Amino acid sequence: MDYDAGSQEYIITSFHHESPDLEGWNEEIKCRRNSEKTEVGLFTYQQALEPQELSFEGYLTVIGEDKKPRPTRFSFPSRHHPVPPASGSGFLTTFPKPTGLHPTLRLTFPHGVSPPGHGCALHTYLTLPSSVFVDEYQLSSPNFLAANNLRGVRALSGETDLEAPAWVTGKWGSTMLLELAHHARRQARLETTESQWHVDIPLHLRYLPPAAGGATSVDLPWPIVFWVCPAEEGSDLSGSPFDRINLGYEVLFGPSTIFYHFQPQPKEPRRSLVEQLQVPVMDLPASRWVETGTVGVIILGALWVMWKSLRVSLNDWQSSKKTIPPRKVL
Amino acid sequence: MSSPYFTPSRVFSSAIALRVIFLLYGLLQDAYSPFKYTDIDYMVFTDAARYVSQGLSPYERETYRYTPLLAWILIPTSWPGTFWFSFGKVLFAISDVVAGWFILIILQSPAGGAMTTKRALKYACIWLLNPMVATISTRGSSEGLLAVLVVALLWAVTRRRIVLAGMLLGLSVHLKIYPFIYGASIVWSLESPPDCTPVQKRPTPRTESTERPVSITIILEFFNQSRTILIISSLITFISLNLLMYAIYSTPFLQHTFLYHLTRIDHRHNFSPYNTLLHLSSAAPDKVSSLKLESLAFIPQLAISAVLIPIALSKKDLAGTMLAQTFAFVAFNKVCTSQTRVQLEKRHEGAYE
Repeated sequence: MDYDAGSQEYIITSFHHESPDLEGWNEEIKCRRNSEKTEVGLFTYQQALEPQELSFEGYLTVIGEDKKPRPTRFSFPSRHHPVPPASGSGFLTTFPKPTGLHPTLRLTFPHGVSPPGHGCALHTYLTLPSSVFVDEYQLSSPNFLAANNLRGVRALSGETDLEAPAWVTGKWGSTMLLELAHHARRQARLETTESQWHVDIPLHLRYLPPAAGGATSVDLPWPIVFWVCPAEEGSDLSGSPFDRINLGYEVLFGPSTIFYHFQPQPKEPRRSLVEQLQVPVMDLPASRWVETGTVGVIILGALWVMWKSLRVSLNDWQSSKKTIPPRKVL
Repeated sequence: MSSPYFTPSRVFSSAIALRVIFLLYGLLQDAYSPFKYTDIDYMVFTDAARYVSQGLSPYERETYRYTPLLAWILIPTSWPGTFWFSFGKVLFAISDVVAGWFILIILQSPAGGAMTTKRALKYACIWLLNPMVATISTRGSSEGLLAVLVVALLWAVTRRRIVLAGMLLGLSVHLKIYPFIYGASIVWSLESPPDCTPVQKRPTPRTESTERPVSITIILEFFNQSRTILIISSLITFISLNLLMYAIYSTPFLQHTFLYHLTRIDHRHNFSPYNTLLHLSSAAPDKVSSLKLESLAFIPQLAISAVLIPIALSKKDLAGTMLAQTFAFVAFNKVCTSQTRVQLEKRHEGAYE
């Protein structure tokens, strides 16, 4: 939901990724009052003439006024695009096992990628819950970055404490923008599974609250991967009716930036792009004896050391007493 | 082994060469491998030193929990060039070698065992030619600095240079808090040399009871000249250093250098016997009794390391007592990280008497 103060418009936008019925959309739209204008349009995505534009073609009807739908076509420059097939296709997110307390987020690209234009850079944006954190000092060594196909951390904000356990952190989590070191596309005939390449991002888990069974699970959403390219001079990117701002990452770049998004390609179709990790934690029922056990062991150990020291002192005192009587005899 | 090659100059040259090799290898590994040779603490020290060289407080660097003195000493690491950045590692490595030299001298002195040069040298080799010790210093850990201070302290006590010993003790406690336990054993061991007067002429304490009670006499006799000088000298050094640092850096100095150690809850990578209890009481406070037993951990720790062991052992063997104290202090401590275990090695050396 959005409110445009300039034009005093209340904008409600809803998205569906599939129709509620199995056979497409069946809706009846009525014109409620004569003073209200209800406009219905049915469009489909069309290949745009300009590379940085989106184009739609379809039919437009104003309810109550038009007798027939009017064929319409319009295009506008858009900030966000799917990645052109020549520059990449999709990516897969996995956490190679075993994950333990230091999981690695692996992005797998099936083929090499190439920039869609001049001055473009490949990035990924991670949104992490507070149970996971990133060590920016680890990601500042050029050798380590190059070994994992990374170029560097471009932005990191949120809960970034390196030591705190999860029950002490106050923020919801953290976000990170990383630039990736892409592998160029090889020639078409070599595009077999061997041209697959990976990006490895080391993450760390905080200590999580104890649970029965000794393990708990953490949900990690898939990151997004995109090319960032400078827009053509003079293009007005805010004119798109589908323009989405305040996404979190686009403010890290200038206003004239185009994003080409990679399509997430999970191995099997699924409802949500979230990975679940099993995390070892303290087994609560098994820890009943921890307190008494620790205190007992410490007390026993301390008593043993004290007894040994006292025995040494007693021996010294007794042997010093034995030397005195001979002197008194004199 | 009475080889003509086993001389102090050769041993010390080898020790220096060993550290130089490790230093250079460390530079190589840092440059070409994703796994760093340099300790993460060294990056913390050098960052803090850089802040100080720019006129700021070293506590701008998060996780810097030491005295500003360390950042001051390491200011040259902020000068440009790879050599200057490694200045701290060089300093710590030199401290190692000097500590080894002190060990050699102590073992040869009458108060320290009166060993022959060759025998003392063999013991000193365990420290000087030990690759683990050399690695710790060349990685950039500041333990080498504290090692040389503590061994110098032991040397000063065996030479009866009490004022110097007091200053070294005060400086060591300012650097890392735990050396105060050595103060207890040194004070206890500094008894006056026994009287040589015959038994009949020496007045027994009972005949003086007409003037003052026995307990007061014992207390006054305890605080003989050496002990009093040591206590005063170390207190003056410690307090004036703290006042100086407080005057310059005010509350963050107190907070990070001293108070942090009372409230730290970082139980990651903790090898002490308390680690599971600390984790449990932090994560599930309702599952442990409300007695807060882990905060009483200092009672057995200090009772044993600062009271019992000094009283029982320090008059017999001061260096051995210091080893036992360190061992007890670490064993009963709430937190025991990998670096803590290295501190035990240093004390081990001095105990060969």
